[in-house]
Amino acid sequence: MANYAADHAPAHTVHDPNLGNTGLDNRKVGMWAFLGSDCMFFGSLIGTYLAYKGKSISGPLPHEVFDIPLTSYSAALLLASSLTMVLALAALQQNRVKIAARWLFVTAMLGLHFVLNQVYEFTSFVLHHGLTLSTSLFGSSFFVLTGFHGAHVTGGVIWLLILVMLAMRGKLDARDYTKVEIAGLYWHFVDIVWIAIFTVIYLIP
Amino acid sequence: MAEHHAAAVATHGGGGGHATVKTYINVAIVLAIITAVEVASLYIPGIPGPLLVISLLAMSAVKFFLVVGFFMHLRYDHPIMRALFVGPLIIAIVIILAVMALFSAFVLLPRVVL
Repeated sequence: MANYAADHAPAHTVHDPNLGNTGLDNRKVGMWAFLGSDCMFFGSLIGTYLAYKGKSISGPLPHEVFDIPLTSYSAALLLASSLTMVLALAALQQNRVKIAARWLFVTAMLGLHFVLNQVYEFTSFVLHHGLTLSTSLFGSSFFVLTGFHGAHVTGGVIWLLILVMLAMRGKLDARDYTKVEIAGLYWHFVDIVWIAIFTVIYLIP
Repeated sequence: MAEHHAAAVATHGGGGGHATVKTYINVAIVLAIITAVEVASLYIPGIPGPLLVISLLAMSAVKFFLVVGFFMHLRYDHPIMRALFVGPLIIAIVIILAVMALFSAFVLLPRVVL
């Protein structure tokens, strides 16, 4: 009697260790829970930046250092990478592994380009404007927020490159769809965080 | 066989279907257009500050929910997944508003001068 549910469940739910009592994939549920917690993490950092906005007693000020064309280009890179990520997923769904690997690689390269742009931006702030983590409230809140986002993107690039390597070694196919979907969820999350940062930090005067 | 297996995998454990490639491309085009409008609005003179801020936040919100809904498949996914993300997202927004209130940092509200 106690095993009624297990005895009458469809065969695939009994044998798949990744499916929980809800019938949902535990890995996917875990990723959504992590992304929810990361939302609160970035929410606190964005809130802190906004709370300190305009309260620095020494320069340089945001409008003196921000390079909007460069940042807009970076935003476009991340948006494009979100498209290539879903194209990779769609290809894997049809078991076209080589095409999926190519899209994953393109996604990783777009992400890497974003990170390099951020390195250039940070270097420019430090060397040309004298803005560091300890210069002012603006410096500390800006570098912590965008630095953590950059770290997330870097982690995502490494994750994507690992998936590309697995695909090249023949260790990734349509059965691994959920693995790639979870990586995609993470990747899109760093994109939506940048959507918020781009508007709130860079665009709003 | 492979296609059949792939289709089975795609609906397995996720709770719903996915958008088509055509939908993905259409969403990406809309995202690109909104981003272009966002950036262009900075260079248009004469837009009142509050209107600019509200329109930028609105466009950002549209982009946010397009990515979450279509690229992250949340509009097709199980309600549990939606709750796991939307709940903390609401808390994050409340955190931002609360911290801003603590530091009197609401840029949109008129400042009271005593």
